[in-house]
Amino acid sequence: MRNEIRFLLGHEMRSLRSVDPTMTVLDYLRQDERLVGTKEGCNEGDCGACTVVLARLVDGGLRYEAVNACIQFVGTLDGCQLLTVEHLVGEDGSLHPVQQAMVDCHGSQCGFCTPGFVMSLFALTRHSETVPDDGVIDDVFAGNLCRCTGYAPIVRAAGQAYELKPRQDHIAAREAETIAALGRLADTETVAVGDGERRFFAPATADALAELFEANPEATIVAGSTDVGLWVTKEMRRLDTVIYLGRIAELARIEEGADGIEIGAGINYTEAMATLARHYPDMGEVIRRLGSVQIRNAGTIGGNVANGSPIGDSPPLLIAAGAMLHLRRGDARRSMPIEDFFLDYGKQDRAPGEFVEKIVVPYPAGGTRFRAYKIAKRFDQDISAVLAAFQLWLDGDEIKEARVAFGGMAATPKRAPAVEARLAGSPWNEDTVQAAMAALEQDFTPITDWRASADYRLRVSQNLLMRCYVETTDATQDTRLVGDRSLAHV
Amino acid sequence: MRSEPVPPSRFGLGQSVRRVEDQRFLTGHGRFVDDFQFAGQVHAQVLRSPHAHAEIRGIDVTAATELSGVVAVLTGDELAADGIAVIPPGATAQNRDGSDMFVPPRPALAQGRVRHVGEPVAVVVAESIEIARDATELIEVDYETLPAVTDTGSAMDPGAPQLYEGAPRNQCLDWEKGDRAATEAAFAAAAHVSSLELVNSRVVVNPVEPRACIGLWDADGGSFTLYNSGQAAHNVARTLATAVFQLPMERLRVISPDVGGGFGTKNFIYPEQVLVLWAARRLGRPVRWTAQRTEGFLSDTQGRDHVMRAELALDGDGRFLALRIVTTANIGAYVSTFGAMIPTNPVAVVLGGTYDIPAVHYHVREVLTNTVPVDAYRGAGRPEAAYAIERLVDLAAAELGLDPVALRRRNFIRPKAMPYKTAMGSVLDCGEFARVLDRALGQADAAGFAARRAESERRGRLRGLGVASYFEATLGPPNERSAVRFEEDGTVTILVGTMSNGQGHETTYAQILHQRLGLPFEAIRFVQGDTGAIPSGFGHGGSRSMQIGGNALLLAADLIEEKAKRIAAHHFEAQEADIELASGACRVVGTDLAVDLMDLAKIARDPSRLPEGMAPGLDAAGDYAREATTFPNGAHIAEVEIEPETGVVHLRAYHVVDDFGTVLNPMITMGQVHGGVAQGIGQALMEHTVYEGETGQLLSGSFMDYCVPRADDMPTLEVAFEAVPTKTNALGVKGCGEAGCIGALPAVINAVVDALKPLGIRHIDMPATPERVWRAIRAATSGD
Repeated sequence: MRNEIRFLLGHEMRSLRSVDPTMTVLDYLRQDERLVGTKEGCNEGDCGACTVVLARLVDGGLRYEAVNACIQFVGTLDGCQLLTVEHLVGEDGSLHPVQQAMVDCHGSQCGFCTPGFVMSLFALTRHSETVPDDGVIDDVFAGNLCRCTGYAPIVRAAGQAYELKPRQDHIAAREAETIAALGRLADTETVAVGDGERRFFAPATADALAELFEANPEATIVAGSTDVGLWVTKEMRRLDTVIYLGRIAELARIEEGADGIEIGAGINYTEAMATLARHYPDMGEVIRRLGSVQIRNAGTIGGNVANGSPIGDSPPLLIAAGAMLHLRRGDARRSMPIEDFFLDYGKQDRAPGEFVEKIVVPYPAGGTRFRAYKIAKRFDQDISAVLAAFQLWLDGDEIKEARVAFGGMAATPKRAPAVEARLAGSPWNEDTVQAAMAALEQDFTPITDWRASADYRLRVSQNLLMRCYVETTDATQDTRLVGDRSLAHV
Repeated sequence: MRSEPVPPSRFGLGQSVRRVEDQRFLTGHGRFVDDFQFAGQVHAQVLRSPHAHAEIRGIDVTAATELSGVVAVLTGDELAADGIAVIPPGATAQNRDGSDMFVPPRPALAQGRVRHVGEPVAVVVAESIEIARDATELIEVDYETLPAVTDTGSAMDPGAPQLYEGAPRNQCLDWEKGDRAATEAAFAAAAHVSSLELVNSRVVVNPVEPRACIGLWDADGGSFTLYNSGQAAHNVARTLATAVFQLPMERLRVISPDVGGGFGTKNFIYPEQVLVLWAARRLGRPVRWTAQRTEGFLSDTQGRDHVMRAELALDGDGRFLALRIVTTANIGAYVSTFGAMIPTNPVAVVLGGTYDIPAVHYHVREVLTNTVPVDAYRGAGRPEAAYAIERLVDLAAAELGLDPVALRRRNFIRPKAMPYKTAMGSVLDCGEFARVLDRALGQADAAGFAARRAESERRGRLRGLGVASYFEATLGPPNERSAVRFEEDGTVTILVGTMSNGQGHETTYAQILHQRLGLPFEAIRFVQGDTGAIPSGFGHGGSRSMQIGGNALLLAADLIEEKAKRIAAHHFEAQEADIELASGACRVVGTDLAVDLMDLAKIARDPSRLPEGMAPGLDAAGDYAREATTFPNGAHIAEVEIEPETGVVHLRAYHVVDDFGTVLNPMITMGQVHGGVAQGIGQALMEHTVYEGETGQLLSGSFMDYCVPRADDMPTLEVAFEAVPTKTNALGVKGCGEAGCIGALPAVINAVVDALKPLGIRHIDMPATPERVWRAIRAATSGD
């Protein structure tokens, strides 16, 4: 056990022993460090004014991730370098190229959202060696709101920043030193800190996690805290014991194994996206849209599944793909088809002390068609009204098998057995689709809420099946009308 | 400007000088209210009404008070007992019959009844914000809910729930302007009348910095200090001191540091300002409050919300004869600072637009509803007018089978008609509306639109081109004092009563002074937003700052020049007439004798080196009073493509040509246009404020549900300036802050309607969301 968290704040070492387990990185920066450049605009990961960058040691190098400080807990900084807008200024006081570009292009007016944009842009320059196209820049800024500039000057600043050699900055110059420092911090001890009766644990191995959670089954497991963070900042819930998964290398992996793609419970969306999109392009599109870069850099598929929300975007994708969920409690492991995990609203087939270890997604077999559609009020950063996922095994024109799953249509993410039955064994033609669309009404009785009415949900779900048909049979049809197609499969 | 201008300098007027304030904003060193900390501070959390309309039968604060760490729990009872007066409006109006409008009392905490979701009911002050929040949940309020009314159009219906006994049918003001008889006569004689019912939708302003304030009390001096995220330090200080706390104004200092966007909504007096000051005085400790985003949605004043019937009368040649507008304006549950004033004269002053219309009549009724109070939002009245006029012109063109551009040209006020007095009494000194529009049409390649439309049609899309010739009048208080102070450290400080909250004033004012006196740009400092440092001021609003504050600075510079020349003459024992000011130095003409202004400022501090009887110091203050209203104008052209299957509107191109008169800093001015257009596009296409009818709950109460534009929502904007400088002020400026927002509403909706016109659709209300557009298409094509 190590009773302190250790990280680099800029290039200064920090060790914290007494830590409120749910204190956010934003509060830590503003209140404890008095680094007030990082701003609070919404406290729920929507506006991006609090964007900071975390540098993590990965395979001997540094990976830079923009995240929302307002919903990250301070304990999750262990082993990272935390960079804020204050750290970008050169040691001689000169502006960083991304800061200079914002000045040159008039990318700042009132200055309040500015630090967040600067950090998003800084992270971009670490990910892309050359200036990306405007669509990618729009994606990078999808999690940053600005009310003053109309964005165009900031988008221009992104291009301008690349003219100023942003990757040859003082942070890069000290990267070897940072890598060495973070290397010295890396250990396999379980971190255990707290502020008295409330505790924060960050185990470094899956075995340690299993032992810890079995002993503390009341604990809340946190990975990206894109949902749990809001329990704290918006619902004012008190969490007494928090176990953080982010240090466990075995869980922060995605591997193309013999039986399929193995998604560790701790891997974030950004890291999982490329591998999943290679096999299932539509999964890539849904991940691209389910949250901003900051959210994708924090949130995990494991958390999205374990949380069991009926409107989580990952479960329908995984159900349609035929994924298996692997759970562990102590040394005991079990697995199940992922749809069996979701028992009822807020209730999953998970014993106290049991956690999601990994999800295994089979590779799409030859002749399958996989389509997924996210229906939300806007393209970026919105909760789905309906998420539909379809997988069809075709033999010529005949459907051998179908797996159809929906989010937002019931109290849990759920398969559509009547639709599947109607499809299986039938020819893949419009008559079959019409019949399957009718069958959908046997599978679901959706509710009306602010996101969508029951009628709308049912109708759009039916129509998405038709869209799937059109897309898989007529390549000339332009069916993805919203958004930029070049971004659909990143 | 009278003296010889300095040679073109990279910091001079007309240059896109990089912003001085950016150094701190880009490095995280901007200082906003929430960034300030005070020893002994405590945190305030406001308990807000969950109901749109309810009687408060009782409030039990026992459990909240007992929570460890709670310092005070205060309700409307304590407020009344302490004699804290209600928050008065900053401006009111008279009814048509000459009687005063109805103004309901607005205490900082509800007394007896709540009238909108989010209205403050109690305030908890505690050692931490977490404790304060926990404690608010322990307050038990016994509410008896009442029926609520939120909808503007039906608020005056006979059966509608009533908010106040003193406001029958919820109407608080019945106001008109213009010649009703002449207008009606013109309509009666018209060859054609175009008529349109339209909604100027309600907007949640959402500056990214939430509202925030910190109250401090100095018991020894008996005075308050308020740190306030605001746009008008002096007005807030004056009202809070003299009206609410009944103190002399000098005993309430307001400091507005860096402000993270305002757009109007931070101009006003809010209950939370009263609460932190009152609590600070009761407790003897600094009290701080920062809005959560949700609180911003429920308590920042909102914008627009007009339901209008707009009519245009034309003769047989397509000439405009008369304009008639009847409006119901929803001002929310209380009369906010300028909430009652905005729907009156700020609309009327620009009615008629860029057109020669002989008769205009405007009639507005203001209604009180169970919604968040409405007040000025970027444009404040002028977007409402411009939207109605420009929609009507397009409608008339469609109904008469005329080209909307040709119809505009036919009716523009001609340059040779200047000065031109409008039917509403505004006197235009200049403006070349056809020239501006023509340039915009060229820039937008309007001539190629037909081909682009045909190409869209081949892809099954509907394409539309929307033109708007907008017309604005700059408003806001007409006076301002700007001062210049020469500091002993060799810097020069400009002190202004205006208030930048993102507009780059720190840079532009310095450009003016640098250009006018040749002082080194780098030596110029800037102070605003502090009633303790600046004797008077009227803040930010109505696109007034450069016009009023900038010209006041020129007057201060005139005084400095005059005095500097006298001192220099004395210094060189020369005639004053032989002294010239150039490049920041006074020199004796025809000699190499010169002394720069910085040195003269030092000399000026020493009475022994001054002419007989001259007061020491080179400092000066200029008082400027607006001589004439200025009229920014321009043309916006939006081009949209609509997917008929989904109703999604894609903005394919957006062009602006503005006449702002003289442009002081093109980069900053362009930024103002960009931001204004973005807000206009937001209102026109996506921002949707939805109150649930029966409960009065704000359904669109977070960034998840209220759609603020993001980077990918914005088209590429092409902006150009076609300056027709006004001679009514020395700078030649007309104002630029609100214009983008004014032109964008009609340009975008005209484009959407132009695209839908082939289906027989004549109008669509804002926001033209995919659902609305899809429904309109469906109704038009299926006949249901």
